[in-house]
Amino acid sequence: MAEEFDVVVVGAGPAGSAAALVLARAGKSVCLLERGPFPGSKNMYGGVIYPRILDGLIPNWWEEAPVQRWVTRRATMVLTGTQSLTVDYRTEAWGRPPYNGATAYRPDFDAWLAGKAVEAGAVLACETTATGLLGAPGKGGIRGVRTDRPGGEIGARLVIACDGVNSLLAKEAGIYGKADPHHFTLGAKETLALPARVIEERFGLAEHEGADFEIVGCTEGVAGGGFLYTNRETVSVGVVLHLPELAASKKRPEEIIASMKANPVIAPLVAGGELVEYSAHLIPEGGWVMLPGLVADGMLVAGDAAALCLAAGIWLEGVNFAIGSGMAAGETALEALDSGNVSAPGLAGYRKRLEGNFVLADHRKLRRAPHLMLSDRVQHRYPQMICNLTEAMFTVTNPEPKKGILAHTRIEARRAGVRLGQLARDTASALRTYG
Amino acid sequence: MAPTDPGPGPVLVARKWVDRRPTVDLLTGEVSTDPRSSGASEADEAALEWGLRLAGVWGVGVLAVTAGPPDAEAVLRPALAAGAGGAVRIDLTSPPGHLAGGAPSSRAVASALALVARTAGSRMVLCGDLSLDRGSGAVPAFLAGELGAAQGLGLVSLAPDPDRPGHLGAWRRLDGGRREELALAPPWVCSVEGGTARLRRAELAGVLAAGRAPVEVVTAETSGPAPPHPARTGPGRPRTHLLTGPDPTADARHRILALTGALVERTPPLTLTLGPGEGADRILEALRAWGELPGEEFP
Amino acid sequence: MTGPGPMRESFEDRMATVEFRVAPTAHITVDGDSCRGCSTKACVTACPANLFVPTADGGILFNYEQCFECGTCYLVCDTEGAISWSYPEGGHGVVFLRS
Repeated sequence: MAEEFDVVVVGAGPAGSAAALVLARAGKSVCLLERGPFPGSKNMYGGVIYPRILDGLIPNWWEEAPVQRWVTRRATMVLTGTQSLTVDYRTEAWGRPPYNGATAYRPDFDAWLAGKAVEAGAVLACETTATGLLGAPGKGGIRGVRTDRPGGEIGARLVIACDGVNSLLAKEAGIYGKADPHHFTLGAKETLALPARVIEERFGLAEHEGADFEIVGCTEGVAGGGFLYTNRETVSVGVVLHLPELAASKKRPEEIIASMKANPVIAPLVAGGELVEYSAHLIPEGGWVMLPGLVADGMLVAGDAAALCLAAGIWLEGVNFAIGSGMAAGETALEALDSGNVSAPGLAGYRKRLEGNFVLADHRKLRRAPHLMLSDRVQHRYPQMICNLTEAMFTVTNPEPKKGILAHTRIEARRAGVRLGQLARDTASALRTYG
Repeated sequence: MAPTDPGPGPVLVARKWVDRRPTVDLLTGEVSTDPRSSGASEADEAALEWGLRLAGVWGVGVLAVTAGPPDAEAVLRPALAAGAGGAVRIDLTSPPGHLAGGAPSSRAVASALALVARTAGSRMVLCGDLSLDRGSGAVPAFLAGELGAAQGLGLVSLAPDPDRPGHLGAWRRLDGGRREELALAPPWVCSVEGGTARLRRAELAGVLAAGRAPVEVVTAETSGPAPPHPARTGPGRPRTHLLTGPDPTADARHRILALTGALVERTPPLTLTLGPGEGADRILEALRAWGELPGEEFP
Repeated sequence: MTGPGPMRESFEDRMATVEFRVAPTAHITVDGDSCRGCSTKACVTACPANLFVPTADGGILFNYEQCFECGTCYLVCDTEGAISWSYPEGGHGVVFLRS
């Protein structure tokens, strides 16, 4: 055994670093394992970090966090091949402390947050992959992890698994069933270089301000969506694709990105951008319904590894959920270490903590959202209908007099193959979910 | 070992912190680097592995050394993790106004490294053969000059003599698939090609300890302004230079003779078949005869 | 900044924008025998790095060198046990810098 720690945290992403930071500050010995050459090197995401969760952990985090731009423009776009409807919101308030959303490169942001844990006293070991657990739930509990280095066993009173969306450790502990592809989407994106001034002109931004566009109806019929957001000197453009539909469509992810970039609404925004990095990652989109058991004897699971990523259509958040769950895991671990009970019942406070704050409250409230968002109607019929309806309303058909909105709605619903009863039910469901 | 022999000391492994994937602006030729894609080159990794192997055979320590900013300690920690007993970073103060990406001259780096080698009592130094950014391969040669050490540069294989610490056989490439075999005794400076040895995977305990291990920092000054980083903003074209033609007033025959060098008196080429020792003597003799060797400075 | 549409680079150029520190051994192995019986071969199109290549005899040729380590392949795979999936040796594999 290489060394004994109070806690070994697997994965120096936002969840792992937050957990390690909480524990190291409280004086516990923490080993933070990272399989990449530096924290964040394996991480990629769909755009925006909402770091207010850091307020309590790192005061004035905005003065030091490696942020690309502060999001002051948030747009949701509905596209068909030839039409688009955009809800475009801008506010200067999000461009001032304490800010709201930020674009950042994960290799920068994650490395910064891990650095905070190291400053607090956590021991960071990079280039070290955890390959399995020492011990097992029930049989004396989990007592550490095995790594792929020679002499690579690390003993710990508690393991916090933040090993990402594939959750290899949670699966080994038996608290994560066989993964169902229906609960996952593939995110694929391109980072395109453009001069800062060009970005600011095209997106109507001041210096340091950023835009975040979420897009429906741009994925060639594969359920999912697209995103486009601005960094300082690059824009990131990509798609999120429901795995079973992607597989069935026989379309390639980069071709779907290309078709989105060719859309006449998107093309002028990304024109001339030189590809500087292509990346892909899985997203646990199932939300509440795929939530694994969060604890086992001697182990807690946080972040993507616990599927704590919110994909609720109008709200797409992950990093804040990772940090929030990591902090809660760290606090629970502290309590358990101090009380000497690290069994699953001793760690039950973790779930209570998550339910008590946004992490599980949001997931529970929005539990129907992922299913609704990936449904055929939201993906295909409603975008077509809403674009047609808008077009019909604003097309002046003189000498014919204007029709009322309800009349238009009836006509367009019929044309898009939407039954009004279904529309009413979906509206009610959306209200229940988002209301 | 004679009691007066201080022994060869630890094996000094010199490692350069360099971006393995720098970005080059295609329009301006400007090179930008990123600390996160920076580290040791393949050749420097091989040098560390050879150093650890030699030290293991002879039962001596390994001292890792680099010259660069604090971020350059990123190449020392893996060395500590893999088994180096100590690490030294030379903080080279650059002249003011110096390019951030530019490096101090090879001679300045070599003299700073020599200082560390002398302080550590090390008479064995291993480096990678070429750095990735400048790539002149001059530092090991300058270093050997500073230390008055034998050089084995661009090696592909090393075979330590287990009975005589510091003594080793070494092989380097020659043209035509041939190898040159060297026998080295301390003090020596060797540089190895990349890919000749794969750095061992550090033990977990080593990794955990290396994160907390101290790195000694010594300060050295670069002597004089460093040469600029090689940067070219246009396509490479040979410089034009003036060729003085034959005397235009001479007749055609003499002009052709002057251009071709025919009928001019010269020493005819000489082919000799000799053993290595005799061959070396004969080369020195010829160099002296041509006035290329200044007197008897060289033994 | 003009031109009819977005720039299209070859797939090789696309992958050349990404840093991979290739490990000496493969972290993912594909059982060619299982693949011969598979009619969907979803991995071939779904893999964002385009690492799965169908062979003339109905099998699958797999390259691990440019893997994003995302997990798409094993999740879309219909054939139990055809893909054995893990992470590459620590320090190796994909390195994102601007993602």
